Amino acid sequence: MASMSSGDESLRLCMFDLRRGQTEGQELEKILFFYPADLDFSTQLSVIGLSEGLITFTRLFSPEAACEVIEAERHSHVFYEAEPDIWMVMVVEKNKETGAIWRIDALRRVLKEVHSLFVMFHGSIRALIEKEPTGGLTRSLLYPFITDYLSTFQIWSLSEDCCCEFFVGKKLQLPTFRETLRERGTVQMLTLARDTAVEVQSLVQVLDSCAGSLRCHSMILFQDLLVSTTLSADDTVDLFTFAVMRLTSKALSSDTSSWSYLRKGPGSSEISSRSNLAPVGSIDSLHSRNGNNMHHVIRPLQNDKWTKGKDGFLITDIWGLETGGSPDSAIPTIWLQQTQERMYLLAYQHKSLTLLLLMPTNAIVNGDLSISAVKQQVIEDASLRILKIEENISRGWGGENAYHIKGYRYLVVDNDTKVSRSSPSGKVTTLAKESLLALNKLREEVDSEKSRAKGQEKDMEICIRAKNNVWVIARVTRGKELYMALEKGSDTLLDTTDAVGRFSNRYCSGAFLMD
Amino acid sequence: MSISQASVGSGALSHVYIHHPALRCNIPESRGLFYDDANRLLICTTSSQVFSWETSPFNPDVPPSVDSINEGPILSIRFSLDKKAIAVQRSDCEVQLFNRETKKILNHKCKAGSESILGFFWSDSPLCDLAIVKTSGMDLFACDSMLNSLRLVETKKANVNWYTYTHETRLVLLASGLQCKTFNGFQLSTAGVVRLPRFEMTMARSESNSKPILSAGDLHLVTVYGRIYCLQVDREAMLLHLYRFYRDAVVQQGSLPIYSSKLSVNVVDNLLLVHQIDAKVVIIYDLFVDSRAPVSAPLPLLWRGYQGSDTSSQAANKEIESSESSTSNENIVMYEDGWTFLVPDLILDQTNKVLWKIHLDLEAISASSSDRTSLLEFLQRRKLEANKAKQLCLGIARATILERRPATQVTQAIDVLVTAYSYSVKAGTYKEIKNEKATASTPTAGASPDNERHRPSGSNIDEDVEMNLSSGSKENMFCADEQQESQLSSPAVSPDELYKFVFASVEEMMVEESEYLVAIITEFLRSISAEKLKVDLNIYVMTIRLLAYSKRFAELSLFTTNKIIEPSKEVAFQLLESGRQNQNIKVRKLGLDMLRQLSLHHDYISSLVQDGYYLEALRYAQKHKVTSVRSSLFLEAAFASNDLQHLAAILRVLSELIPGFKETSEYYTFYGLLNDTSSSVAV
Repeated sequence: MASMSSGDESLRLCMFDLRRGQTEGQELEKILFFYPADLDFSTQLSVIGLSEGLITFTRLFSPEAACEVIEAERHSHVFYEAEPDIWMVMVVEKNKETGAIWRIDALRRVLKEVHSLFVMFHGSIRALIEKEPTGGLTRSLLYPFITDYLSTFQIWSLSEDCCCEFFVGKKLQLPTFRETLRERGTVQMLTLARDTAVEVQSLVQVLDSCAGSLRCHSMILFQDLLVSTTLSADDTVDLFTFAVMRLTSKALSSDTSSWSYLRKGPGSSEISSRSNLAPVGSIDSLHSRNGNNMHHVIRPLQNDKWTKGKDGFLITDIWGLETGGSPDSAIPTIWLQQTQERMYLLAYQHKSLTLLLLMPTNAIVNGDLSISAVKQQVIEDASLRILKIEENISRGWGGENAYHIKGYRYLVVDNDTKVSRSSPSGKVTTLAKESLLALNKLREEVDSEKSRAKGQEKDMEICIRAKNNVWVIARVTRGKELYMALEKGSDTLLDTTDAVGRFSNRYCSGAFLMD
Repeated sequence: MSISQASVGSGALSHVYIHHPALRCNIPESRGLFYDDANRLLICTTSSQVFSWETSPFNPDVPPSVDSINEGPILSIRFSLDKKAIAVQRSDCEVQLFNRETKKILNHKCKAGSESILGFFWSDSPLCDLAIVKTSGMDLFACDSMLNSLRLVETKKANVNWYTYTHETRLVLLASGLQCKTFNGFQLSTAGVVRLPRFEMTMARSESNSKPILSAGDLHLVTVYGRIYCLQVDREAMLLHLYRFYRDAVVQQGSLPIYSSKLSVNVVDNLLLVHQIDAKVVIIYDLFVDSRAPVSAPLPLLWRGYQGSDTSSQAANKEIESSESSTSNENIVMYEDGWTFLVPDLILDQTNKVLWKIHLDLEAISASSSDRTSLLEFLQRRKLEANKAKQLCLGIARATILERRPATQVTQAIDVLVTAYSYSVKAGTYKEIKNEKATASTPTAGASPDNERHRPSGSNIDEDVEMNLSSGSKENMFCADEQQESQLSSPAVSPDELYKFVFASVEEMMVEESEYLVAIITEFLRSISAEKLKVDLNIYVMTIRLLAYSKRFAELSLFTTNKIIEPSKEVAFQLLESGRQNQNIKVRKLGLDMLRQLSLHHDYISSLVQDGYYLEALRYAQKHKVTSVRSSLFLEAAFASNDLQHLAAILRVLSELIPGFKETSEYYTFYGLLNDTSSSVAV
């Protein structure tokens, strides 16, 4: 497994603002975030300085899209311009032996994801900096946020003797070639029977009108799959990502189980408390530098902070305790990208069904609406339907391997709707390493073709027979992408395209026409 | 006791009315007026003649048929069920039968002194043809229409004070006992003679502790929704008790309060009309629901004048006569003593010698009801004026939407209509239209159910009774026919009609509130889907339009991919169109995908080319061997995109795909263009 401890140089992740710290001696102003946080400033500055230099240089040739990636001998530098002049750079160590083989676009999508999530909770970074020009606020939000985010990549080392050093007991695992049949930044949908779908949409209408004349937005998930949404594709992806990370029944239960497992060992509770403290400590150091230590920092991605209340609504103290201040101040809020509206987020859970309800905050500030009234309304109007729908879906649900298609290992991405579907991970692991590597390589090729096309829709059809006789296939057509590995050595190219054609007709409504 | 006289003014609000003109029996020297309920004949007798009018269908201008009979007193008179004979009760010991053609006369006399005849009726049971009720019991006779003989087949012995019978229920109740509240009952149906268990009616004691005596006029046998009820007036308690007749039991099912010591009932369209004669008002009850609350407030019976064929309540203000006035050519006094109320729906005015038919004003009833859900349920149960009920339902559905009632209310309303439709399809009352559709393949708008409803009434009553008897269930065993003549029509509203007359008609007015409308359509689709019904695909086209209008593309996508919006060519084209209007490529692609899924190759390819995907289009054409798309489409698209390689490739593929393509002028044109622009590209 590709993994690394923070102690070595295997991962650097930074965010900086090109508009800041342009005078000598002020360079530190640029840094908005750096991981690992305990690295000395000179090293931090050297990483950022190199990145800045590369960006400035490449902009000479391509002002619109500067540097995307730098491949050095031992490292890959992945660039992502999250907002105008706000860059995120990830430096990862290449290591064939540990299996640290990445697809650059997959890494960039990690950067994109954490930024999108940040914006969803806190608004754009530029806006934050403009609001509070010292950058202290921005940093105080970014540090815990990204650290919390990265913790989702942590895998716990179970050896007892690792407890001495911070982060040594944990390993960060970035998406490697083994996840090549996954697409970050897309949602996975549940396929519904028509009558269930009608019931769901009917429930959506009820949810949307739970705040009276004010129209709410809603999103419904079953386990980790999207059932319905009224949000735009981008907002859907962000909220979906967050929900799967922290809110769904799986996320809630896995939290508790993993923690309880950890707590069996002596001293492990200490790890958790320390790991939580450490990044805050680094913020404090920055705070003292910026002279701003007053803010209560909200950490929306903090783990293990959501529980299911008696009334079915999920509760958290991340946004504060409901007892303090105004009753609604403790309700989570998010920003919608599309409408630039700030929304209250309510989550309701019944068994595997998670319902997210979004209401514009200004309506509540104006006193047009009270959260408790909305909750009451949901319970009154919708709980029966929710019960019924959960039953219906559970009955028709094929389980973990519902979308496994025998003989195929696949990924289908629809870039328009930002929806993907893939073979269940348990089935993907049965592929040989060579197959995965070949597919990873192929995807990398397709990525670069796509980036060269600059937003134009490409039409591609690639079938390659790799060393271990696996067929790896990429088919890109009008915003839809299909990646596939077929490990049937004896098949000819004709058989292979036939197999893909059959797949396309049967499962993709013929979207991928094969010659 | 809240009956006030306030509403009996000239304001003339009413839910029930009688309508000019009445059936008038202006026979000079008439001696008696009778109603033969089995044949639905109004009978007027003179000393030697019998005039009879058909009252069903009710037509005031119908001429009477005339029969001559021997002179003599007439206590009661009834035509045989085949109308070939007339039976006349001459005295309390003699019944005379006349054959109308042969004029043959048959006399039947009972033992004078020891017993007397209370009355008689004809029967269509297999056992007997004529039943004569006497103080000593009931004699059942068989006789042929030629009146050769009258043969006693059975005697049901009982002490009888009086009896009551209606042909509609085929039920005869023989009253006995000191208070006349003990009953022996028989049903003489086509299935045979069924004896009811003996039962007693409840009578409250008066204050003076004297025991009141039940009279025949206090008892009313009615049929509503195919169930047989007996209504019994209890004057002491001021209650109208309801008894329902089952095969093996008589069960009291609640009581209605009464506000008048004089009381009568009618049944119109399965609704019970209780005339509170002293208070001069009618109260309507719908016994279908468990609640014994009246359908609407007590209002007077109204007489409607000459305003012609329009019986709508809009004419209420135009009415020249209110209930109290009597200035017309007919000297009408509401609820005067001479009125006889004939079950189900007639009033015989003995004084004026006219027969009225009672009508319900559904519009007035629905106008005075605020609970729309129960009102719709009520209207959906109406059969007599099915078309009017249907129009009212559509109007109510439209109004609830236009008034922007909460979605839950509209949902309930829609659910009522959809469930009622589904039920009527299953019950077969909506069958005719369905057949018509099947043959016409497209849903026809003009398929009015009423065109086909007027069937000869015939004897379907019999069949139904038989069916009900043979099914041994306790429920509805004593079942007269619900579907009386010309009542086959059902007010059920099909989903297509709901779309056409409700959704489509409000769309234009509500386009700004498309979100609300979408919510309602979703509920409609849910209702439809729950009942496993089909709906006009135009509703899907409309849904797309509305969703696109409110820019709810996420939902549009879910509706389409989950097939809530069923795929069709029209739907696909609407998606393409909405995508174009909103410049939303995703919506357009949904349309394209749908065309492909439907294998509408030609449209799919044309749309692809239109969107600039001419290579993909050609590939598809090649794969599916589609040659119907104009080849110039591809060529022009490629030429416009200035890609000569593509142009060359297309020329080559087309020459393979379309036989003889190389000989067409098109080929030469583009081949020439290709060579002119660049000689380096090989074809």
